[in-house]
Amino acid sequence: MTMLLSCEKLRVGYGGTAILPPIDLAIEPGEFWAVLGRNGSGKTTLFRTLLGLIPPIAGSITKRGPDQRSVYVPQLGSFDDLFPMLAREVVGQGCERGWSFLVPRVREPAAVRSALEEVDALALADRLFRALSEGQKRRVLLARIIASGASLALLDEPTATMDGVAEQEAFEHLDRIRRTRGIAVVVVSHHLGAARRTADHAVFLDREAGVVVVGTPADVVAHPAFVRRYGSTATSGDRSCDE
Amino acid sequence: MNEAPTWAEFVQGWELGVYSPPVLCGVVAGLVLGAIGVFVVLRRMVFVTVALSQASGLGVALSFFAGIHLGIDVHPVVGALAITLATAALFIVRTDRLGLSKEGLLGLIYLGTWAASIIVGEKIAQEAHDIAGILFGTAVLVEPIDVVLVVTVGAVVLAVHALFHRGLVFVAFDPVGAEVQGLPVRVLDLTGWVLLALEVSVATRALGVLPVFAFAVLPAMAALTVIRRRIRWVLVLAAALGALSGGAGYLAAFFLELPVGASQAAVAVVLFLASLLYRLIAGRDRG
Repeated sequence: MTMLLSCEKLRVGYGGTAILPPIDLAIEPGEFWAVLGRNGSGKTTLFRTLLGLIPPIAGSITKRGPDQRSVYVPQLGSFDDLFPMLAREVVGQGCERGWSFLVPRVREPAAVRSALEEVDALALADRLFRALSEGQKRRVLLARIIASGASLALLDEPTATMDGVAEQEAFEHLDRIRRTRGIAVVVVSHHLGAARRTADHAVFLDREAGVVVVGTPADVVAHPAFVRRYGSTATSGDRSCDE
Repeated sequence: MNEAPTWAEFVQGWELGVYSPPVLCGVVAGLVLGAIGVFVVLRRMVFVTVALSQASGLGVALSFFAGIHLGIDVHPVVGALAITLATAALFIVRTDRLGLSKEGLLGLIYLGTWAASIIVGEKIAQEAHDIAGILFGTAVLVEPIDVVLVVTVGAVVLAVHALFHRGLVFVAFDPVGAEVQGLPVRVLDLTGWVLLALEVSVATRALGVLPVFAFAVLPAMAALTVIRRRIRWVLVLAAALGALSGGAGYLAAFFLELPVGASQAAVAVVLFLASLLYRLIAGRDRG
């Protein structure tokens, strides 16, 4: 299998100071990775480094090639409610790449409609994005991932404001996308339950203790560093990392 | 007691070319600033316009200073454009890396250019009476060069905005997503601010700070209040309301014998209040 993204002895941080031990991982097509940790554990810093938004302090990040497409889905709260955008316009943004916005577009690309169909959100196409429920917004953003044609999707706490049922549904959608499309999915999550059931790889970060654990979700939650932070009950239940 | 001006007097003045330049300037500046002001409001940086106007003023003052004390001839328009564009470039500084907020940066620019204008103004005191008019315009009598500049720069600004539209919307809505997808975020940011700086610079000289600030903020707010679904229609309505503020404001000033800039700003305020009333009647988003 062709590796999409790999990190070798990656040190992440700000202002020349690393905040976590070196990280080694390799993400392949169709894999589902969960990045776990409490608030302030270094999840966002790792995420921003993987996205190329901040430079690594040391080590390297290797991508498959310059043609590899990545797509990022921010937390729902980061979208400004002042914006008058239809759901299909939000999905259409996934099709933009580089300077593609200079090419006139009379109507949304066909990929927008099929992506909305794939996540059962076609009925939302002409609805105002800001007026949708949290779950509906999430489905629209999943359609944006599909429409982008990206091979790697990075989602920042996609289920942060959802109840248990909606969260499970969101993870099922993500799981379906990665299985049918071969998109590698990397999710920052506070919630162990759904992430553990869906992900096949996990990264646990604990900046305070200076620990990084990479492995299967089962290995990670059984790791002494994880148990020390959350207690042994966290390994079996649907607890939040912040509880 | 003076008689109120009549429509015949206005038509006569228009035919003589006295009123047509300021009306045209007001309408075009209102139209252009109304449209691009939508992005200023959506990015929650409404005081950018005031900071740019202040920078424009500093540029004019520096032009005079260079002429009087250094013997270097710099046209005030060139000075205003140079300093305003340099100021616009500061808006793409990543303030979070410096521990600053965007509002903090705006405050720094506004106060810095204001203080510098006063200091430079002290050194060119003998020219001060001319500078006030050049700095902040009068909007009553506009020079032909101002009409040419406002119309030409306005056309360029709208053309580039139309060309970059999807990129500007994406960057304003989801800057990180846009950057990850390889959009030239900093180029788009800089383009947006430079276009605003260009229009603010030429419009401030012709009309004054007050109407320029009003055109860049109030029509956009009104359009966003009325139109809730499509950003392209928000842009069209904001442009129309801006143009209406510029034209109707001048007429109101003429017939009611009021200061022109204040009348234009007042019309923009009235239109915004009307949009609020419409929203109250029409109700909230229905999705």
